[in-house]
Amino acid sequence: MTDTTVQKTEEKALPRVSPATDILEREDGYHVFMDIPGVRREDLKIDIHENELVVSGRAEAHGGEKESYLEVQFGPGEYARTVSLSDMVDRERIAAVLKDGVLSIHLPKLEKLAPRRIPIQTA
Amino acid sequence: MVLDFNTLYTFPGRFERVFDEFFKPQFQEGRRLAYPPLNLSEDEANYYVRSEIPGLPLDAVELTLTDKNLIIKGERPTEQGKYYRQERPAGFFQRVVALNVPVDRDGVRATLADGVLTVVLPKAAASVPRKISIDVG
Repeated sequence: MTDTTVQKTEEKALPRVSPATDILEREDGYHVFMDIPGVRREDLKIDIHENELVVSGRAEAHGGEKESYLEVQFGPGEYARTVSLSDMVDRERIAAVLKDGVLSIHLPKLEKLAPRRIPIQTA
Repeated sequence: MVLDFNTLYTFPGRFERVFDEFFKPQFQEGRRLAYPPLNLSEDEANYYVRSEIPGLPLDAVELTLTDKNLIIKGERPTEQGKYYRQERPAGFFQRVVALNVPVDRDGVRATLADGVLTVVLPKAAASVPRKISIDVG
């Protein structure tokens, strides 16, 4: 336990950023979009803990060591965001795509919750 | 002074907002920066302009190099659907980088990887420091 804490402090702590997130609903379920520019696929983790979806990623610094900066408006960081999942979400079919620095997560609704008409039988 | 302690008051939401602001280092001192954020740097051979433009392919970003400026232009689309939460910026954006230095206009390259745009502007030969040999006569 103590070893891990020591290691963490030795690593250069990156600023934690909560990524800008859109959550919207379409007929096929819920869609979550997160802006995580600078995060490569291998530096991104998506975990499900009970009814929470945890996204964490790391954006590394760009550019070489020799560059001197004139203006800095963004930098390396740790992205972290938690989205709670409702019971309507089909956990087995959650799909995530990372493209051009945007993570898109599709949370489909459970089939049995989709609206359907109940046939009425004549006695 | 009004103390807002009625039952509709959302304490958890308020705490979350405090933490959210705490974890947003890019908006320090409440200063909202222009969109998209830019980093400018240089080394011996080049100037570098980097920008976070997530969600756009390179051909959707319009880069214009005029005599004095580099202009980054584009539009971030909105998604279709019923929004529950919208934090990502959408719509047209433009940023102008003033170039007060001569650059090699033919050698300018732009790449877009993981939502980060990198424009490399090679310094013009005239602005690279040169050693002048002095002939002793």
